Amino acid sequence: MAERTVEDRLREQYFSLLPDIRRVAWQLETEIRFHTLSTLHKLKHYEKLVIKPRIKECESAIQALRRRQEGGTFDQEKPENYSLLRLPDLAGVRVLVFPRSILNEVDFALHSHFSLWTPDPVPDGMGGALAQKHIGHCAAVSSEIQAEYQIVPMLIGLYWQVEHSAIYKPAPNVKALRDKADSEPLERLNANVVRALLEFEAEYERNLKD
Amino acid sequence: MKKDILREADYRYNFDRDIYFNRKAKKAFSLEFVDDKPEEELERRIRESTNSAGWTFYFNSTPPEGVKRELERVLG
Repeated sequence: MAERTVEDRLREQYFSLLPDIRRVAWQLETEIRFHTLSTLHKLKHYEKLVIKPRIKECESAIQALRRRQEGGTFDQEKPENYSLLRLPDLAGVRVLVFPRSILNEVDFALHSHFSLWTPDPVPDGMGGALAQKHIGHCAAVSSEIQAEYQIVPMLIGLYWQVEHSAIYKPAPNVKALRDKADSEPLERLNANVVRALLEFEAEYERNLKD
Repeated sequence: MKKDILREADYRYNFDRDIYFNRKAKKAFSLEFVDDKPEEELERRIRESTNSAGWTFYFNSTPPEGVKRELERVLG
């Protein structure tokens, strides 16, 4: 009989955790919806606040854990070294906002409620934060499973959905992208897109104030 | 920048394993190693000759034999 790999063991762990992961995602989504209600109710017609729960899929969780190892490789002789509970985002919620000025208001409202969660902002490469991210536990549901919530400018968040599935995720398997995903032109173009989206939002908000 | 040093020395980035590698030199640097070590050390490691016929891995923590074998298989 073939020996069980680290991946096999992690698949088993994933499905034993899945009911709790679902409960954590529901709990987090519900709490976030509740604590952003006051913002939601006063949105102007052009403003947006979208809340999207997410459960990490089994293979995605295993690959994420593998990539957290130095060299992105499991030591098959030490299966006891690995646990999906080390992942910070088995369950998550993404809050998309437009325009960006709402981001601080939402972040403040949620941070007041999730004050024990650890902030882990996504850097914008210019000393600021592109998006806010917080990691912690929904203690009422599970003290083991870590979850994260993100507050992301909507234009950036929607771009990430395309960019991540087109470049980041297939890169390991698509030959044409495998060694090029980190290439200078793609990196530069990606930075240009992000900058353009941020500038669009900034200009839009300036026009509103005028 | 460290990235430029590696690029100029013909190191490519393996996105899946987060390592910089050069098949001709048979050397691989983990992202953690590149992040943590100063540029001078990186340049020195790129220049240094290795007597081994196999791959040399520059990691912060010495990789176990099983991990080395798997990476050698992946890097070809």
